[in-house]
Amino acid sequence: MNSNPTSLEVHVAGIRMKNPVMTASGTFGYGSEYADFIDLNQLGAIVVKGITSVPWSGNPMPRITETPPGMLNAIGLQNVGVDGFIEKKLPYLRNFDVPVIVNICGERLEEYLEVTEKLDAADGVAAIELNISCPNLHCGGMSFGVDPELTYELVNSVREKTALPLLVKLSPNVTDITVIARAAEAAGTDGLSVINTLLGMAIDIKTRRPMLANITGGLSGPAIKPVALRLVWQVYNAVNIPIIGMGGIMTGDDAIAFFIAGASAVAVGTANFVNPRAPLDVIDGVHTYLKQYKLDSIKELVGSLQT
Amino acid sequence: MQTSTAAFPKKFDLLTPIISNEQVAQDHYLLRCACPEIARGALPGQFIHVLISQAGVLQAASLLLRRPFTIFTVEGEQISMLYQIIGEGTEVLSHLKPGDPLRVLGPLGNTFHIPLDLHPAIIVGGGAGIASLMLLAIALRKSGVRTLGLVASMNRARLLSVAELKRIGVEMHIATDDGSVGHHGFVTEILTQILEQPHAHELSQPMIYACGPDGMLRAVTKIAQDYRIPTQLAMENRMGCAMGVCLGCVCKVRMPDGGFEYQRVCTEGPVFNAAEIVW
Ligand SMILES: Cc1cc2nc3c(=O)[nH]c(=O)nc-3n(C[C@H](O)[C@H](O)[C@H](O)COP(=O)(O)OP(=O)(O)OC[C@H]3O[C@@H](n4cnc5c(N)ncnc54)[C@H](O)[C@@H]3O)c2cc1C
Ligand SMILES: Cc1cc2nc3c(=O)[nH]c(=O)nc-3n(C[C@H](O)[C@H](O)[C@H](O)COP(=O)(O)O)c2cc1C
Repeated sequence: MNSNPTSLEVHVAGIRMKNPVMTASGTFGYGSEYADFIDLNQLGAIVVKGITSVPWSGNPMPRITETPPGMLNAIGLQNVGVDGFIEKKLPYLRNFDVPVIVNICGERLEEYLEVTEKLDAADGVAAIELNISCPNLHCGGMSFGVDPELTYELVNSVREKTALPLLVKLSPNVTDITVIARAAEAAGTDGLSVINTLLGMAIDIKTRRPMLANITGGLSGPAIKPVALRLVWQVYNAVNIPIIGMGGIMTGDDAIAFFIAGASAVAVGTANFVNPRAPLDVIDGVHTYLKQYKLDSIKELVGSLQT
Repeated sequence: MQTSTAAFPKKFDLLTPIISNEQVAQDHYLLRCACPEIARGALPGQFIHVLISQAGVLQAASLLLRRPFTIFTVEGEQISMLYQIIGEGTEVLSHLKPGDPLRVLGPLGNTFHIPLDLHPAIIVGGGAGIASLMLLAIALRKSGVRTLGLVASMNRARLLSVAELKRIGVEMHIATDDGSVGHHGFVTEILTQILEQPHAHELSQPMIYACGPDGMLRAVTKIAQDYRIPTQLAMENRMGCAMGVCLGCVCKVRMPDGGFEYQRVCTEGPVFNAAEIVW
């Protein structure tokens, strides 16, 4: 493949991708929703909505609100459950030549293990992304991701259950992200996804009520990009495994900044809600940048920050 | 809501110049643009998701998310939307001029169910809610269905679409909060009056279609239950992606087994059976 000077192909954490641009979990459904706009074969990878051992109904409404420039969400991981996913969603995705990365979550360790075992046995899963950073769950989720020992135990246990490539999705809502990143690395994860949403809130001053029924929610979109870049850069300097960078990526140029900070691939999230072709536009933008700066591959950019 | 198995039209994201954007009542504007691909497939009740930014470009702005509006009318290749100024997005929208580019995603969502032997249709629109019922009213009148139109407004200055509805033969009833025109009070009081009339038994296969503020929809649902009239509501929840992925716009829907499920207004809706909505 290297004969093509502007090939975008990358091999990250054991996942081979046509380009380094994937969709962020929870912002691209299960793939079929965007069929009118995107040929899924053109994506680097698809990361599907967080899956749990049984279907979850999610949080009461209102669940989202816009904040400049971004949004808060408290969806509460409404999802079809692992069996529903394997039966109803995975067969569609098998029609495409694109790695499917399944984001998983749970309230207890056993739930993560159960979901992992089922996905490991299913046909068509390229990798598992462990969400230990969902800010909208009252137990589980983020409580794993803020404690290095719990992180180690969880990642290590999941690691023993599967040979599939493993990504651990880190929370920005911690004092020192590098401590959690190192714990996940030591437990054997193949890569890290950085970052999940930042815990925030918004208030309706006329009624003095929170804008979200859950009161707090996860902030995403362009508003969080500087924070995400900083965290990717800190994690890059702390570990020796690849990073999937995300947080506010709207354009190819945004993605390039993440590569320079240390990401080996990126994920496009909230941008999908604004522009149904967002991942393709990001891929085009990355391609244009590589040509303009006469670079042969993304690798030359990764962690190339000049200080 | 349970809809026919007919596939919904393909979705498009079009960058198109605004043809006109004019005030039609206090705080209310009518915007028209050419969207041939959307106009071709649009069904009553379906909506568009509009990117409101100065130049219609896809980039980060303080107005990041799009805003949903029902397709008000379809004329040839043009579609229109009737909107109320609510906050920042609709305020900015009202300042856009003919020729300004707009990014329009659609057509989205499901459509109203129109039973074969419908008689009569009662449409109830509160404020800008009537915008969601216009294409339906046009379709009903085209197929000769007797249609009663009940519209509610704060006052005469905010009254919408009455002349258009009359022109297509909808029997109009008006309620205003201040009594400046029509019934002084709630539109639901008119609804009850109609259902209490001596000839009410002639309403052989009635159906109520409603869109408006939550309070009005709840009141309509209650009356519909009392008089056992099937009712469809067009829901207008806060919305994120409108593509069915963010799960932000859900409403709580009763399931046959007695439980409930959160369903997406953008995908399973915006039209729901009133009896299934858990408020
Ligand atoms: C399927 C659908 C169809 C719609 N069709 C029409 C239409 O034809 N004409 C029309 O005038 N409006 C319609 N709406 C409502 C319209 O989308 C909102 O009024 C608009 O998004 C407000 O944007 P804004 O930026 O002006 O206000 P914002 O600044 O976003 O909001 C101002 C305030 O209004 C609240 N709000 C925001 N969105 C909504 C909403 N969807 N419903 C209730 N409250 C909201 C916010 O919470 C906030 O408190 C529709 C909504 C949906 C979901
Ligand atoms: C509506 C919504 C739902 C999300 N659901 C999930 C999820 O299920 N699992 C997960 O790991 N992250 C989830 N995320 C976080 C995103 O995957 C991503 O990490 C975050 O939004 C930052 O990227 P962005 O700014 O590009 O959106 C969700 C984000 C949003 C906005």
